[in-house]
Amino acid sequence: MKQTPEMERIQRQMRPGVISYDGFLGSDKRLLCEIMDADEAAVRRMGLSHSAIAARMRELREAGARGLGQTTSVPPHFEVTVDAVRGKLPCPFLHEGLYEKIYTIVKNNTSGESVTYTDMNIHMIEAHGFYEGEGAPFRQDPATLARVLEIED
Amino acid sequence: MLVSFIIAVAAVGAINTLLAILIMLADATIGNYGDCKLTINDAKELTVKGGKPLLSALKDEQIFIPSACGGRGSCGLCKLVIEDGGGDLLPTELPWLDADEQKSGVRLSCQVKVKRDMRLRIPEELFSVKQFSATVSAINDLTHDIKEVKIKLSEPAAIEFTAGQFIQLEVPPYELTDEPVYRAYSIASDPVKQDEIELEIRYVPNGICTTYVHKHLKEGDEVTFNGPYGDFHLQPTEAEIICIAGGSGMAPIKSILEEMARTGSKRKAVYFFGARSKRDLFLVERMQALEKELPQFKFIPALSEPQPEDNWDGETGLITEVVAKHVPDASGKEAYLCGSPLMIDACVKVLQEKGMSEDNIYYDKFA
Amino acid sequence: MPEISAFAVLFAAVFTNNILLTNYLGMCSFLVVSREVKTSAGLGGAVIFVMTATSAINWIVYYKLLIPLQLEYLRFIVFIVVIAAFVQLVEMIIERVSETLYAALGIFLPLITVNCAILGISLFMVIREYSFLQSLGFGLGGGIGWALAILAMAGIRQRLASRSRIPRGLEGAGITLIIAGTMALAFMGFNGMVNLQ
Repeated sequence: MKQTPEMERIQRQMRPGVISYDGFLGSDKRLLCEIMDADEAAVRRMGLSHSAIAARMRELREAGARGLGQTTSVPPHFEVTVDAVRGKLPCPFLHEGLYEKIYTIVKNNTSGESVTYTDMNIHMIEAHGFYEGEGAPFRQDPATLARVLEIED
Repeated sequence: MLVSFIIAVAAVGAINTLLAILIMLADATIGNYGDCKLTINDAKELTVKGGKPLLSALKDEQIFIPSACGGRGSCGLCKLVIEDGGGDLLPTELPWLDADEQKSGVRLSCQVKVKRDMRLRIPEELFSVKQFSATVSAINDLTHDIKEVKIKLSEPAAIEFTAGQFIQLEVPPYELTDEPVYRAYSIASDPVKQDEIELEIRYVPNGICTTYVHKHLKEGDEVTFNGPYGDFHLQPTEAEIICIAGGSGMAPIKSILEEMARTGSKRKAVYFFGARSKRDLFLVERMQALEKELPQFKFIPALSEPQPEDNWDGETGLITEVVAKHVPDASGKEAYLCGSPLMIDACVKVLQEKGMSEDNIYYDKFA
Repeated sequence: MPEISAFAVLFAAVFTNNILLTNYLGMCSFLVVSREVKTSAGLGGAVIFVMTATSAINWIVYYKLLIPLQLEYLRFIVFIVVIAAFVQLVEMIIERVSETLYAALGIFLPLITVNCAILGISLFMVIREYSFLQSLGFGLGGGIGWALAILAMAGIRQRLASRSRIPRGLEGAGITLIIAGTMALAFMGFNGMVNLQ
């Protein structure tokens, strides 16, 4: 992928203070297209796809949301907490659509590892293949997601 | 040699002094926005020194606008309407204001600087908000992740609040934060007790304030808070009351119930409290005692995932299911909800299905 | 003192001896702030003001104070102090006039203090033994030249960002330095008109 002018505009939207206080890029100095290419390659190496990862994230989030803010056991061995904070965020990829600030914490009781992701993450992975920049508060590493959420193709 | 040394020092000193005087003059003219008049709600007039952010200018005048981030423009709470004199919208405000708010003059008071006379709209109840210094008198574990913190007031020595309101606790700079931050917590104690308040604080991993309270705060520590805030309180009607809470959402409901018990309220009330398993339940004895003090009150705890060792014989299931089961008809009743936004949204839906009008549902979403 | 009118010095400082493009001074903020025309214009304006004012004041300080007291060796520290004070002043003015520009310039405003082009102007003026008027022209011209260069660069970069494919290894500072070099070559075309040594 190459950094189109549109990507340049999107990358500007992702800077700290434009949409969210911390932004979506963290300390990542790479171009948006490079971040997305690298994650795309990582996803392919694992034999997965963005939509498969997003689908699994959504599945666990829906299961956890049934706990209405309380931690819920999700078979086979997950503990999922879904909660929300005030406000909505627009997607930085310049299209209509506001996303509620709902976050999901998934703990894998077998390995003890956990991941935290937001509804915005699910959307950005599914629709844009974007996992946020290194060091961003809600950066999702594809390999970690696959391991903790036990995503298999 | 010595002479040239002295000359050099004197010359540099003289130049520096001149420049310092120049800067002071500039500060007194260009940097001086003079006294600005703030007209609040067309009624109250204040004169403040210009140049400061509006939030701190108001704070200096003992008007506390709720703010959770301490003026960094990262919480979006300190909104108020500036009718006149606010200047252009700043890039740092835009993420917090939707199109309607931008049109109606809503601004973030921590970002707008006072540079000229301004006309403001501030909700009346904020005028009774004060800053308090206090001492932690007790910290108790309520569950594995919720602590009860009792705070004894020193200056001012008493707080007047309505049951259901919240305060903002100041977290001084420590490992997780370089500047003071403020977090909102509901008061759990009876408003009659004006010299000491109780808070119930649930630990959130990496939460700036909750980590501070759970890992650093000790009995005897000095704390600062401001308040009271919020319009979550019992309505002065005779309608039957349904309270629903989860986790630390217990706090404002407890305050309301304590007040009802003290005043000998005859209103019919039921309180549903949702938790995951027995280890997440707390203050059960106090609630059972309240059932004795209030003849018309019933406490119904519900566990969503009781563990085998809990030997739980009470209600099981999600709070919405338990509410639906116990409340066949909600019309004409009032509901008071506090807890996760997800729980509140789900409960509002259930109550509406049971015939309650949305106007009679009052809630305090934390977050 | 070179026999050349103050106006010619001004003209030369803008075009033929552009401090940025011939001496490559003031590069750091030039590279970083030249992304958008609007902020570049703001910073350019600030640099013009600070350069003109400091070259005049530094001339007075140097010839009326440091030379008589035989303290020429102190010129670096004294010049920097004067520049720092003026930047402070500019900051106050910009904050008063346009809060939006103030927010956009951010850290680069105080960083004008360490913009080497500004110190460079004051030092060249001393080395080349300019008269007061020549120095004033040199300072104003240097500022205009710097502002012109950053504005041109911002215009080029804005176009570049929206139309061209830049080889990956050259993105960012790489292509900007190449453009700066090309711009310097273009400015050399003015060379026959006036020249400063």
